[in-house]
Amino acid sequence: MSNMLSRVADSLYWMSRNIERAENNARVLSVQLIHMLEASNQETVDRDWEEILEICASAKDYYGLYERLDRDTLIQYLTISPFNLNSLMNGMNYARENARSTRDILPEELWEVLNEFHLDQKDWQELPSTRQHTQDYLKKVIKTSMTSQGVIESSMSRGTPYTFIKIGKWLERAEKTARILNVTCEKNRKETNVATDHYYYWLTALQFLNGYDAYIKEHPPTMDSKHVLSFLIKEETFPRSICYCMDHVLEAASKLEGGKVSHYSEDLFQLLELIQEEISQTDINEMDMNQLMSFLDHFQNRCSTLSRMFSETYYLIEPVHAK
Amino acid sequence: MLTNYQTGIYFDEMMKKDGAPKSHYQWFYQLVNQFTERELLNKHETAQLNFLRQGITFTVYNHTGGTERTMPFDFVPIIIPRDDWEKIEAGMKQRMTALNLFLDDIYHEQRIVEAGIIPKDLIENNPYYYSRQVSGLDIPLKNHIFLAGVDLIRDEKGQYRVLEDNLRNPSGMSYVFQNRYVMRQVYPELFFQHSIETLEHQLSELHQAVTSHLPMNANPTKPPTAVLLTPGIYNSAYYDHVFLAQQMGIELVEGRDLTVKDDVVYMKTIRGLKRVDIIYRRIDDDFLDPEAFRPDSALGVSGLLRAYRKGNVSILNGIGNGVADDKAMYVYVPDMIRFYLDEDPIIPNVETYSLSDPERLEYVLDHIEELVIKNVGASGGYDMLIGPQSEESEREEFKRKIIEKPHQYIAQPTIKLSRAPAYQEGRFYPCHVDLRVFVMQGKTTNVLPGGLSRVALKEGSLVVNSSQGGGGKDTWILAESGEQHA
Repeated sequence: MSNMLSRVADSLYWMSRNIERAENNARVLSVQLIHMLEASNQETVDRDWEEILEICASAKDYYGLYERLDRDTLIQYLTISPFNLNSLMNGMNYARENARSTRDILPEELWEVLNEFHLDQKDWQELPSTRQHTQDYLKKVIKTSMTSQGVIESSMSRGTPYTFIKIGKWLERAEKTARILNVTCEKNRKETNVATDHYYYWLTALQFLNGYDAYIKEHPPTMDSKHVLSFLIKEETFPRSICYCMDHVLEAASKLEGGKVSHYSEDLFQLLELIQEEISQTDINEMDMNQLMSFLDHFQNRCSTLSRMFSETYYLIEPVHAK
Repeated sequence: MLTNYQTGIYFDEMMKKDGAPKSHYQWFYQLVNQFTERELLNKHETAQLNFLRQGITFTVYNHTGGTERTMPFDFVPIIIPRDDWEKIEAGMKQRMTALNLFLDDIYHEQRIVEAGIIPKDLIENNPYYYSRQVSGLDIPLKNHIFLAGVDLIRDEKGQYRVLEDNLRNPSGMSYVFQNRYVMRQVYPELFFQHSIETLEHQLSELHQAVTSHLPMNANPTKPPTAVLLTPGIYNSAYYDHVFLAQQMGIELVEGRDLTVKDDVVYMKTIRGLKRVDIIYRRIDDDFLDPEAFRPDSALGVSGLLRAYRKGNVSILNGIGNGVADDKAMYVYVPDMIRFYLDEDPIIPNVETYSLSDPERLEYVLDHIEELVIKNVGASGGYDMLIGPQSEESEREEFKRKIIEKPHQYIAQPTIKLSRAPAYQEGRFYPCHVDLRVFVMQGKTTNVLPGGLSRVALKEGSLVVNSSQGGGGKDTWILAESGEQHA
């Protein structure tokens, strides 16, 4: 399997990214649906939804279809809309199609987990979009992702296909963490007056990233912005921190190459090491919100370069031929 | 359970006219009687869900796009006694040997044409005869038919007859394995008293058959690289492709994964190009290589035929097999057996009239309501008229089509296809069945014990094709000969 087909590698990588993306978006939406209940005024609620849109999809695409942000429309757009490339339904469908075209090398149970979600999908579409149904749907997405990961961890050999799946997952995670922090910093910067608001922003960021419980074990529940940012960017033991994800991408890539750097993978490793260095040299305590935001922007750009370079290294996309 | 079951005028696989089971179904009959109605219903439900959950589906296309469907499964197996099976097995080996000799002959000397047994026109005007592309080629093992799926039926006397030879891309083998798998999961009780032929080694046999087709220029010091070439996930038989590739441990590739350089075929991997020696393709001839066949094919690989002609790659099944499993050529298969093997056919054909003969044509037009009319180029139960079940308007339409293109059609008497009990929606009722037998050929010929029993689940229907509401059954070959002890 070390000579895996490029198309297969590409499908595995995207299957994994799609599952991870769906899980992350489902969690963000689920947290928001609960917070919404406690929000003080309509203005806050509207702004919050705007941010959810920015985290889970693209505002530009949304406003290309709809004139204004309406909660029910947005929930529909983020969950089961066929018009949103990043809707949960589309993500899970892409993941299933990716799995379907690589079924011969995936554990049977993984296919069954994704297929089951697909088979139940019809029922979900027919249910009225009540809060309860939406929450149930979001839970189902999260459970499906977790079960998939369980199958992968417990039954796949640690070979090339497994490594591609893992790299897709870590990259997707790191990017999502950066996106969520970026939106949170932006909000923090705009409104520098009310302390309780800040508490709420950082708490939310932790919840979006399923990190509240882990954070609280290490830090007092005061939600100090620098503590939260350090935790989500640099904590080496938290599996959704940027640092953790990038360390694991590097480790996986290096395993893929048997610990050696060849001429074709040189650029890839250089970039990975550079990113790692940039993260470790960042002193979050010394930075203001503007600096933090530009660090996060920079990191997000690095992620897209990395994703492209990774694809090129393993021929995941057809190289452009000179004419 | 089967108290009101009527065999009628048909040959029944399981039941005798007096309502008692045949001796080889004795045990099965008793075991089924021990199930309660509730158990039967639950088991039926569980079995159907099993297929859906595992995504063992085929895709049906219509004007609104494709829908994934499972093939309905019926738990009443077709049980075949040892002696009957041995005859089928011998008959299949004989038939495939003759058809393979025929294919090699017509792409070389054409002795059978010279001997005046098959009209030259019938071969040269056949749309699947790819003389320009593959005439004169010496292919590995001189074997054109690596995998055949021969459809057998039984007439009202219980005589097995060949209905169709599928020598291009017969599908359905995965169902044989899945039917057995589900059967064992859901109805384990039924296996306790039966000793039946296992399917365990069949996929390793298939793999050996694939890898024995070494191309002339393969590196003899390395094990060959074999791949299964699929049109992709939208193909109706995609599950079949996945299953076979997975079980044989060969790479499942699409046309875009392959490339030809200097007449050598490579697959595109994450470490660059890797040479491919053997391609078990599930893409039809005319889509295989846009350079040599249809230029609009997006499924195939440019230059594949050149690589094949140079002996750099093997293609299974051989290119140009369509000329031999065509419905018009079918009529001549018994003659081929006599000509090449000097033997009489062990399993006969269904009586068939070729409409090119004006006298025959007249007879057929007069008796169309008693006959089955088939388009020689169609398959899957399409463009077919079943006389006794047709409307006046359909008959008129077919008469018009026949007169316009007599060469395009054949006629067969309506055979009283045998039946077997099926259990659906809480009751047993008789349904028509046929049997697709899979024959693998490499250095040796191997017939998969049993095969895919297909059943027309719509009451009274004669069409067993899965695209038109047919289902599948497990097929048991009893391991011991003689009568079962009851």
